[in-house]
Amino acid sequence: MNLFEDRKLVALVLLFVIFLAGIIYYKTPLSGVIIMTGVIVFGSLSLFWKESHIKIIGLALIVLLALTSIYINGLKFGIDFVGGTRIPVTLDQAVDQSTMDEIVQTVKDRVSVLGLSEVQVQAIGDNQLYVEVPSNDENTINFVESTLSQQGVYTGIVDGKIAVSGDNIFRTSISPLTGTQLLQSGGGGVPDWGVAFSVNDVGAKQFADAAKGKQDYPVYMYLDRPTDAALFLSRATIKNATPSDSNEEEVMGAIRDALKLENDNIPVYIIDDIQNETNVTPTDNMTEAIISANASAQVKQMLKERGFTVVEMPDAKMVPSFQRTASQVLVLDELDSVGLLTAPILSSGVTSGVPNYNFIITGGVPVTDPTLKAQAVDDRVKSIESILKGGALPVQITLGSKTVIPASLGSEFLKLSLITIAGSLIVIAIMIGVRYRNLTATLPIVLISMAELAILLSILGAFTIDLPTMAGIIAAIGVGVDAQIIITDELLKKDEHHTTREKIDMAFSIIKTNIVVAIFTMVPLLFSRLLSGLLLVEIIGFSESTILGAILGYLLTRPAYAAIVEGVLAKEDEKKKTG
Amino acid sequence: MLPNIYKGNYKLLAIAPLLLIAISLFFIPSIKMGVDFQGGTLITLSMNRSVDAPQLQSQLAAEGIDATVQSFATTSGYQTEIEVPQSKDLVEAESLKTSFNALLPKVSQLEIQAYTNSSFNDQYLQEKAQLDNLSDQMFALAKVNRSDLNISTTNDLDNRFTESYNAVYSNYQNSVTGPLSKLVQYNSISIQIVSPVLSSSFISSILIISLWSAILSALLVFLFFRTFIPSLAVLTGALCDVVIAMGAMGLFQIQLTLPSFAALLMLVGFSLDTDILLTTRLVKRKGDPRDNAFDAMKTGLTMSLAAIVSFGGLFILSILTHIPTYYEISAVCLAGIFGDMFATWGINAVTVLTYVEHRKVKENELV
Repeated sequence: MNLFEDRKLVALVLLFVIFLAGIIYYKTPLSGVIIMTGVIVFGSLSLFWKESHIKIIGLALIVLLALTSIYINGLKFGIDFVGGTRIPVTLDQAVDQSTMDEIVQTVKDRVSVLGLSEVQVQAIGDNQLYVEVPSNDENTINFVESTLSQQGVYTGIVDGKIAVSGDNIFRTSISPLTGTQLLQSGGGGVPDWGVAFSVNDVGAKQFADAAKGKQDYPVYMYLDRPTDAALFLSRATIKNATPSDSNEEEVMGAIRDALKLENDNIPVYIIDDIQNETNVTPTDNMTEAIISANASAQVKQMLKERGFTVVEMPDAKMVPSFQRTASQVLVLDELDSVGLLTAPILSSGVTSGVPNYNFIITGGVPVTDPTLKAQAVDDRVKSIESILKGGALPVQITLGSKTVIPASLGSEFLKLSLITIAGSLIVIAIMIGVRYRNLTATLPIVLISMAELAILLSILGAFTIDLPTMAGIIAAIGVGVDAQIIITDELLKKDEHHTTREKIDMAFSIIKTNIVVAIFTMVPLLFSRLLSGLLLVEIIGFSESTILGAILGYLLTRPAYAAIVEGVLAKEDEKKKTG
Repeated sequence: MLPNIYKGNYKLLAIAPLLLIAISLFFIPSIKMGVDFQGGTLITLSMNRSVDAPQLQSQLAAEGIDATVQSFATTSGYQTEIEVPQSKDLVEAESLKTSFNALLPKVSQLEIQAYTNSSFNDQYLQEKAQLDNLSDQMFALAKVNRSDLNISTTNDLDNRFTESYNAVYSNYQNSVTGPLSKLVQYNSISIQIVSPVLSSSFISSILIISLWSAILSALLVFLFFRTFIPSLAVLTGALCDVVIAMGAMGLFQIQLTLPSFAALLMLVGFSLDTDILLTTRLVKRKGDPRDNAFDAMKTGLTMSLAAIVSFGGLFILSILTHIPTYYEISAVCLAGIFGDMFATWGINAVTVLTYVEHRKVKENELV
């Protein structure tokens, strides 16, 4: 038969090529989703098209897909298998699901800065997190611990005077404004977003003093503004950041204005000019020179020689961004390297000099599309809220004592786990061989189980394989063998009343019931978060792998197994007849 | 060839599993809750040398730490597990913190209102006194003096309160790890502290999940079989497995933890495998029901053996490595599969056989 005339096969191969391109292009963790989709698509096709060769080739193609994915993208193992450090973090109070998600994301973002992208952050219940770092390097772990425990300090500066400091803000009072509150917020036009907060007595006086008569001035909102520092920017950076209606002089003026503060100015210099200027000197022997990591070694060396402590920052953090106020004054709005996160403008209501305890910060977003705008407003409100709270998490945290899993121990666990799977398969093969005294039925069981193993590993390993996931894989293979025993048993039965097809159908009616019920007993665990509001991270992997194993078995591997055994038996029958 | 055990008075076959279930019911109350559900602290030490567990336990007791110590050899050295029951201080600190956090927003709001409008002063002072009372209790737990703390505003109070809570927490950790590091030499230490709040939310979570699993599996079984007795038999079989597995947990001191809970859930699915096999073959198939039953049993036992091999492998692995997750899952599954062989082929087979034969008699009468 000409292969190209087999349209179903051609369709299968075409789909395979698409999935293959997908796993190569998208890498992990999407590759796992793609293989899963592949299993469902090929599985549905093999249920729909009843041809045996489609079932077998379908499985073979998925196995090929899985192996390619494992080869190209590798497998991700949890720290139990690769070694690493687990740091438990306890939250000050129980939080709801969306706050927990926010915390997990913030913690991830914070620890990911040092290229630690493989850091896992998992919520345990509603008041705990596990931060898992695949490293035992003491410096790395210290860095992660200090990043986690660090609480930011918020300072709001108006015209060179501290107007608000985080210490004086009531943390519980910080909240976004509702639509009606925005309408009532006064001023010209309705702002897009607003955040309200209250300060204590000290804070109210401080603000009143600083903001008196400063209508239309920006409040420079800093998080961890460096003390005793100087900023060095390259002319190229400034030029790129200069708005089209402005020039270097105005831009530098805006930056100087933002960085000024009584008794703790941050002077700013253009790197290209300092070689010739001798007055660029540190205030004292502690003064930090904040400079791009990409600046030339020569400049850094020179700054060191002049007595600065050089602090290198990624290029992206050195780029300033600007806005214009209603009276067309250019204002520095953001400069990450010094902790300037935003600069909202003071409205007239708060600049009278009378102490005020309740404040609102309002502003607009430069987006017109309604959906995008809603998102931009939400992001903005969240970021302002978090800056006011000290940039940190919505709640305070406590670090627990860390657990270190040596890499050698982890790889030992992994090796032994794989040996266990192999050992079990061998024993099962021998056992079934003895029971049915028929090698043609037992060899496929081993082959199919290995195929299941490869597919499960490739899908689950695109995310993370931890201890419960591995236990689930072993269990799934054990249960898979059971279904194959049912098929073998039906097919090898000396029963003249039924055709092979009927026997297979009978086996599958049992298997289908089993699998559906087995999946649905585990599903509540998988959706523990939805049902009970608590994600049981410790065992979720177990339910994932057993459910996945069951689905894979129902759609692909059992039908393929039946097709193989059916084919083998048909050949044996033919031999008997001819011989 | 084995003789067909279902020839003759097969009802006697139910005796063994019923006995097993009775024994299990006896042992279930002695199931030990793991740290997940009971709360408390689990410390795992890995070390190069073996440690004398009873001796360490009495040494810790002398230091005022009421702990349970167990020691294991693993493929990679030795491991010691120390379980310390929930600390009273931590429980109290946690409940203080909950009350404090609930009261704080109101008090800080009143503080602001009192600044601007003195008529709020009384109410503010009244609520503030409550907050102060909670704080004083926390400071006492943390063994700090309020007068040393320089507290003027509610914000200060909030900060000092949180610091004191952290101090209670770390004091507790140090009170356990301090004596430990004096008494034993270890390579690494892992401390898992499960707070009372967390353990109770774990418990409510698994109760909800169990309920859903039970409802879903019962519904599906009735949907597939559409007859009452066989469906009931299948579900009884599953229940028996779980009961026997839990009995084994009580007898062999396998703790109820999240992994062993997951194993129990999985067991429901597994036990249905053989039950459904049996019921399908008996109810939906022609021929002598007793032969069918025996046939199903041969298949079912082969399946159980295969499963025993898989979980046995996992069990051996767990003994070698002493990974609790592996141990709890494999031990519970092994016990459950063992129970399943008795329950399915004793109780279930008998129930369904009786039903099928009874139905046949009726049909014959009708004809």
